[in-house]
Amino acid sequence: MKILSDNEVIGEIRRALGDRLLDAENPRARRIFIRIRSEDLRETVSFLSRELDVKHLSTITGIDLGKEIELIYHFSYKGSIEISVKLTIDRDSPEVESITDLIPGAVLYEREVHDILGVKFTGHPDLSRLILPEEWPDGVHPLRKDYTYEELRRMIQAEEGD
Amino acid sequence: MSYGSTIKVPFGPQHPALKEPENFTFIVDGDIIVDVKPRIGYNHRGIEKAMEARTYIQNIYLAERICGICSDAHTTCYCQAIEELLDIEAPPRAKFIRLIIAELERLHSHSLWIGIAAHQIGFDTLFMYAWHDREIIMDLLEYISGNRVNYAMNTIGGVRRDISQEKADRIKRNLEVFEERVKYYIKTVNNEPTILKRTVGVGILKPRDAVELCAVGPTLRASGIKNDVRRDDPYISYDEVPFNVITDDGCDVFARIIVRCEEMLESINMIRYALEHMPTGRMRVRVPMRVPEGEAVSRVEAPRGELIHYVRSNGTSRPERYKVRSPTLGNIPALCKMLIGQHVADIPIVLAGIDPCFACMDRMEILDIHKGKRRILSLEELKGRRWNGS
Repeated sequence: MKILSDNEVIGEIRRALGDRLLDAENPRARRIFIRIRSEDLRETVSFLSRELDVKHLSTITGIDLGKEIELIYHFSYKGSIEISVKLTIDRDSPEVESITDLIPGAVLYEREVHDILGVKFTGHPDLSRLILPEEWPDGVHPLRKDYTYEELRRMIQAEEGD
Repeated sequence: MSYGSTIKVPFGPQHPALKEPENFTFIVDGDIIVDVKPRIGYNHRGIEKAMEARTYIQNIYLAERICGICSDAHTTCYCQAIEELLDIEAPPRAKFIRLIIAELERLHSHSLWIGIAAHQIGFDTLFMYAWHDREIIMDLLEYISGNRVNYAMNTIGGVRRDISQEKADRIKRNLEVFEERVKYYIKTVNNEPTILKRTVGVGILKPRDAVELCAVGPTLRASGIKNDVRRDDPYISYDEVPFNVITDDGCDVFARIIVRCEEMLESINMIRYALEHMPTGRMRVRVPMRVPEGEAVSRVEAPRGELIHYVRSNGTSRPERYKVRSPTLGNIPALCKMLIGQHVADIPIVLAGIDPCFACMDRMEILDIHKGKRRILSLEELKGRRWNGS
């Protein structure tokens, strides 16, 4: 398979997604950021995996934007071009389809985002806690901007009765 | 043989075979592992959240403390992310110095690992040898930076200390001694029956599984996949220094030993080349305190594999979001795959095979959670408690 350049990769994605590709940027060599709607995630990922042989997911970043939660899936094309797929979801009931069946390596990254931002990945085989302790209060997602570091510490100390 | 029924064996968070606290639950049938459930987070310090509350300069030192072994990989990754946002570049000499420190770090990390791997299979002589020889590199790092660990060499816009000609000469002299030792290890591991019996064919990770489970670093390369951030997505001066990406088709723990040993020889040659071809000029450029709005993805080949940082800035002197994914987390799904079908006695060496660094992996949220608090659970509570999400 021919190794594509940054522009060719964007071209391929644009051809496959059409107007479902909301935005594509190439801020520097080997870095591509694309924006899609959350309902197009699985189709985008299966296209990347099938047509561009993108099998490596570096990680998933979740960001609390205040009204929405943004997810960024960092994929790597040939280990070289980092394709970051961005989408936003509702903050009050954050839900997105799991991609663990398409990219098995996503299993822990999805659980991590579930723990820290409360995003529910529908279809994930086991969304139990990965990082937070068992006695952590339900519904407190520490990377949300509702809490500062100090508030979280106070909250936990109160919980423990210090 | 199968006994037709399984039992759960908890492993950690405190266990002699683990150097850091982490928990795995093994489902075993007789002596054979049929399933593994990892439970991480015991070393979680809330660094990503803490970074949002600190300035870009303070965060260099926080990034340094994500890991005690590959601290330089984290600061390199951090500094180049911020440099990208500022649209500046470190001077060429600084990039060479970063490369030299990065490769020295790889040498000390890999020799530390060889010691641990030898210890896990009960071969403590090699453990003592490897850690003794690792001191050559530790002394060099101390000589250059003043510190054995957390070298504080990187800063945004360059490096904080130079490598003079005198220092370069001493590095070269000491590397000659170290190189002989590495060659001796390669000879030893290839011939020593203890190592061969305990590692050949143990902890198999097929290339297809390695790719699907998004494994990284020497773990991936020991499954025959030629993938290295230094070659594929070159940063600092890796596009100017020649080197080979070492792979091995063995797919087992033995292959992981060979890959790391041969990578050490490559690193030695890279340091020599970099010292001889080091450009002259400044070590750092001045940078503003405020960082314009933007985002950057930064990647580094840490000793354990691909390290990725993502930063989003909001125009102030503190980041809006900072995300770190260390290589160990990337290798956990692959590790679970390797462990299935293994004997209980091989758990320590297979686990050590990915060179896990739990401090790196767990960095994210809150500190002080278990602060000296003890709770006694009744038998009923214990029965009702969810163990490791199963």
